[in-house]
Amino acid sequence: MAENTIYFDYLNLFWFTVLPYLALFTFFLVTIQRYRGKGFTYSSLSSQFLENKMHFWALVPFHYGVLIVLAGHAFGFLFPGQLLQWNSNLLRLYVLEISGFIGGIFTLVGLINIIVRRLTDARTKMVTTGADWFVIGILVFQIGTGLFTAIFHSWGSSWFASSLAPYLWSIVKFNPAVAYVTPLPIMIKLHIIGAFVVILLFPFTRLVHALVVPNPYLWRKPQVVRWNWDRKKIRTPEFKIHK
Amino acid sequence: MRRFTVKRRGTKSASGSVWTIILLLPLFFSSLLSAQVPAEYFKQNCSSCHTIGGGRLTGPDLKNLADRQSRDWLINWMLDPEGVLKSGDPYSAKLQKEARGAVMTRSPGMTRNLAVALLDLIDEESKLDKSQFAGTQISDRPLLPEDIAEGRALFLGTMKLKNGGPSCVGCHTVNSMQGLGGGRLGLNLTRAYARLEGRKGLSAWLVSPPSLVMNPIFKEYPIDEEEVLPLVAFLKNETERDEPENATAMINFLLYGIGGAVVLLVLFDLLWNKRFRAVRQPMVSESYHK
Repeated sequence: MAENTIYFDYLNLFWFTVLPYLALFTFFLVTIQRYRGKGFTYSSLSSQFLENKMHFWALVPFHYGVLIVLAGHAFGFLFPGQLLQWNSNLLRLYVLEISGFIGGIFTLVGLINIIVRRLTDARTKMVTTGADWFVIGILVFQIGTGLFTAIFHSWGSSWFASSLAPYLWSIVKFNPAVAYVTPLPIMIKLHIIGAFVVILLFPFTRLVHALVVPNPYLWRKPQVVRWNWDRKKIRTPEFKIHK
Repeated sequence: MRRFTVKRRGTKSASGSVWTIILLLPLFFSSLLSAQVPAEYFKQNCSSCHTIGGGRLTGPDLKNLADRQSRDWLINWMLDPEGVLKSGDPYSAKLQKEARGAVMTRSPGMTRNLAVALLDLIDEESKLDKSQFAGTQISDRPLLPEDIAEGRALFLGTMKLKNGGPSCVGCHTVNSMQGLGGGRLGLNLTRAYARLEGRKGLSAWLVSPPSLVMNPIFKEYPIDEEEVLPLVAFLKNETERDEPENATAMINFLLYGIGGAVVLLVLFDLLWNKRFRAVRQPMVSESYHK
């Protein structure tokens, strides 16, 4: 029995110390190496040209949702004190929690549509790889555990600041304090492990596009593309380009 | 271009560095497993349930512990209380009965060596007239309505804890809370005063919380002794009011979230109503007019 508990401590040590460093070092080394060596593979591999109607209901809710959720996590990590200060008023706490929860639901709705689209649209299905399904799978896992945590282990915005921010900083400072996370409920621990798995996979998948977002598109002037051929004619099967 | 020539070399050195770092990781573990000073450990992990010569809290008074059980039994108990209890040991069953069903938790980082060091400490402290672990002397003055109000403010976070600890409501709720309630990570504290057998037990608990989640936080930002009494007053009041649980809080949170998401999705559809026509056509027609 006593041996079992010690064994369990080593498991915790693996998931919350070894995995984070493995994930972070892989992330930094491989993202840099891939950018230098294979810069042209830094892409979201967009399939918008293949199918555009459902794409809207998949990508737009997903990205708005995930940006809200990630911004919330990042804020809790960088400014835990300010977050607790904001939450010292119950109404503000509720507004923050509901906003984050809506972000989570948006991510889930988007992701469900992504899955449906990639399973039902023939052209999109064609370009979907195993790695894509792996990314989708781990994101479903993250959203599932995250929404569960938001509902059943509230209020995450407060306890993230007091328990997880110190843990994450202890990782950054190379002095891991696993005692902050080991007693937490299993869903939260799975969510943390999933997060490090996402970081680990990041440099090997289409997720890298997050680092090369063409932000100038937000403010540069629109450009009209003009085609030098009959756009309807080239879509007919008889059309040959060298005719 | 340069970036194509470094491709192979880059791959090699990257994976090499990753493995070097993995091999260096065990260095970090050593700092985690290092032993603590027993007195400091006792204060942080044991003193919320045990005194040495100060009477019973949740757990028994440990003065002259060596007279009650053999050292081997005590070490096994400290390493794995649940296991000893499950093995059908009669003395541990008696302890559980005396603690009204509460079982000792396995303290963080407990090892055989640490258990021996703690038992030595308890023996030493038992010889003293007044041990440093005789218990916190929280004032015996009667609890006032102002204490309840102050305790409530500390619980909700409208009044900050002096030493910078996070307020209770982030993880705990009480039944008198309306709306979406308090946190649900930790226990509902409506009956905490009753569970910890009143003022003395609850005070000792608050001075150094043994909960594994709270322990690392409040070790660094302890609840000030002047804040303990108001919190006790507030929680006593909650136990006495003993209101029914606010069952709708979680459902309401869920409904607010889903409702908000639906409203926003409808708004998105309205906002981007012309999304497949709005960009290109006006621009093309405009360029023809020029």
